[in-house]
Amino acid sequence: MPVPRPAPRHRPAALALAVCLLLLAACTSQKPEPLTRKPRTIEPVAGCGARSWTDPARLGENRAPARCAKGAPAPRRLKRPRHLTLATSTLTAEYVAPLQLAIKKGEFAKEGLDVELKVLPTPDALPLLAKGKLDALWAAPEAAVINGIHGGFGIRWVAGNFSPAPSSRSGLWIRLRDGERPDTVRPAGRSVGTLIGKGSVISYPLEKVLAEHGAAMETMDFQQLGSSDVLTALTSGGVEAAWLLDPVWRQVRGDKRYAFLGGQPVGEPLGGALFGPNLLSADVDAGVALLRAYIRTINTWFAGDYKRDRGFVAELAALLGQDAKTLAAVPSLRMDWEIRKGTAGRLQRAYRDAGVTDGAILPERRLVDRRLYAEAVGHRP
Amino acid sequence: MSAVEERRAATGRLVRRPGPAESRPRAAHRRRRALELTLAVAVPVVLVLLWQLAADRQWIDPRIYPAPSTILADGKERALDGELWPDVRATLQRVAAGYGIGTGAGFLLGLLMGALPLVRAALEPTMDALYVVPKLALLPVFLNMFGLGEGPQIALVAVTVFFFVWISTMAAVLAVPEGHRDAGRVFGAGPWQMFRHVLLPASLPAMLVGARIAAGVAVLVIVASESIAASDGLGHLIFDSRALFRNDVMFVGIVCVAVLGVVFSELVRLAGRLLTPWAPRDRGRGRT
Repeated sequence: MPVPRPAPRHRPAALALAVCLLLLAACTSQKPEPLTRKPRTIEPVAGCGARSWTDPARLGENRAPARCAKGAPAPRRLKRPRHLTLATSTLTAEYVAPLQLAIKKGEFAKEGLDVELKVLPTPDALPLLAKGKLDALWAAPEAAVINGIHGGFGIRWVAGNFSPAPSSRSGLWIRLRDGERPDTVRPAGRSVGTLIGKGSVISYPLEKVLAEHGAAMETMDFQQLGSSDVLTALTSGGVEAAWLLDPVWRQVRGDKRYAFLGGQPVGEPLGGALFGPNLLSADVDAGVALLRAYIRTINTWFAGDYKRDRGFVAELAALLGQDAKTLAAVPSLRMDWEIRKGTAGRLQRAYRDAGVTDGAILPERRLVDRRLYAEAVGHRP
Repeated sequence: MSAVEERRAATGRLVRRPGPAESRPRAAHRRRRALELTLAVAVPVVLVLLWQLAADRQWIDPRIYPAPSTILADGKERALDGELWPDVRATLQRVAAGYGIGTGAGFLLGLLMGALPLVRAALEPTMDALYVVPKLALLPVFLNMFGLGEGPQIALVAVTVFFFVWISTMAAVLAVPEGHRDAGRVFGAGPWQMFRHVLLPASLPAMLVGARIAAGVAVLVIVASESIAASDGLGHLIFDSRALFRNDVMFVGIVCVAVLGVVFSELVRLAGRLLTPWAPRDRGRGRT
């Protein structure tokens, strides 16, 4: 009987190599497509007149956000239905309400779009957006986005989302020391609790607010905390200041131990829709249709102080999974699809000062594309 | 390397001839060690080279998976600029403090519960219940208890390490053969002598195995904890870089954590060898 042959010695090595190659195949990249686009015809849109576009250079709380008539711009169903995947880091935030409502009311469907929302943090969504595995990201031009574009990602900020109501007190709150007054407080050197890190768009208003009070980002000691811990840390003395979001700031409003130093600039949206190569160049029709439905939703349901209608608030609360009383307790957001001129630069300067982005400040055209919402409302540049 | 077995067809008997391991044991051992060392070095080197090649040839997206050379260059730059060391130091201090407290407490309670049945009866159900609680879920509790400083991080590491050491120590004490205790009693050993000369030497090797496992887990836990509630440390560096889409920096942090884990685990192993020279070694001359 012959001696049995021993197992081949190189089998484990070959297996390891095969596993490596499989892993590599799984990670294989797709280079982002160049963002080329054929010239598009922009036609006037019924219901969207002069008020449907505001000069991007205009800032400030006196600027009324652009609006069309209720129900405008009218849907223009695509010849071929499209399935679009949108990522957002939350489904419960109020600024996502227009998206949620557009799905519920069938505004996307009227355009021939089947929109699917996925909850995904921005850093995780960015590569997928750049590779075309996601069509859009409902977020903000955070430092991660700037770093991604610096790295060559074909991503643009194509629509705004909201700015706070002038009466909102979402922003930087400080615990007053003995003898301090709100108008003379100097926050330099104090600890700040924040839910959001230095790479968030909040860096820009935070830097602005601190500068107004004689402080700078580098003079502060930042503590990044969970959503429920920010207020606890401020009230328990764990931190001396905190960036409080809606509706948390209501807990300290009226308390003389705390002072509101400032918040997000009124009339200047800092977030909104980010498109990747799919909607920026491969299928611009779908990109315009998506924004048309979004803008129509704002004009129809979010044009003014939408929280005056308690029935609508209840509907929104159910949609967002929030408590209706909590939702009604803070002022309506100013929903705004436009992007202000210079916001991208101001954000980038704040990131640079915070040391969270590398490289030179990108020109606005590398980050912002207003042409899609301009086409949706029929505005010719 | 082992003996060659052959079945003789004619007789049906199994014939066992000496293999190289039996006939030339020293040379066979040297060859074996050389092969093991080569494999230990070659496998990671080949993987890193493959990774570098994949990044260079764009088989993988180097913006998402930076090449090893990029990570190395970035790590070197951060180290030379002094940006890396505060994070390394912060993590090391938290791990060392938490590990020391957790190991000490786990060892003491393990010995007590292993040696005293009444203490075991009183505490074991409670400890078992606490053991299964995910330790990271305790972070908010520790934040409330200790505030925003180093306390919550150290407490989290200590609690995590404690359970590994406690269980292994208690099990080791319980596993000390009754014959060893009998021998101690025959020689008239008092409680301290019984502990010093019987229970401690018998349980220390197993306790150190638990301590080694805990060393790795301590690094895991601190990285997770720093990602949630810390403004420095390697965990903060990794997750902050991830949030900022600075993947090269993120990988520098990951490599640092891996190195820290290996070094820490090896230090505990070395301490174990020095403390328990009588215990069988878990690495070294392999069986041929």
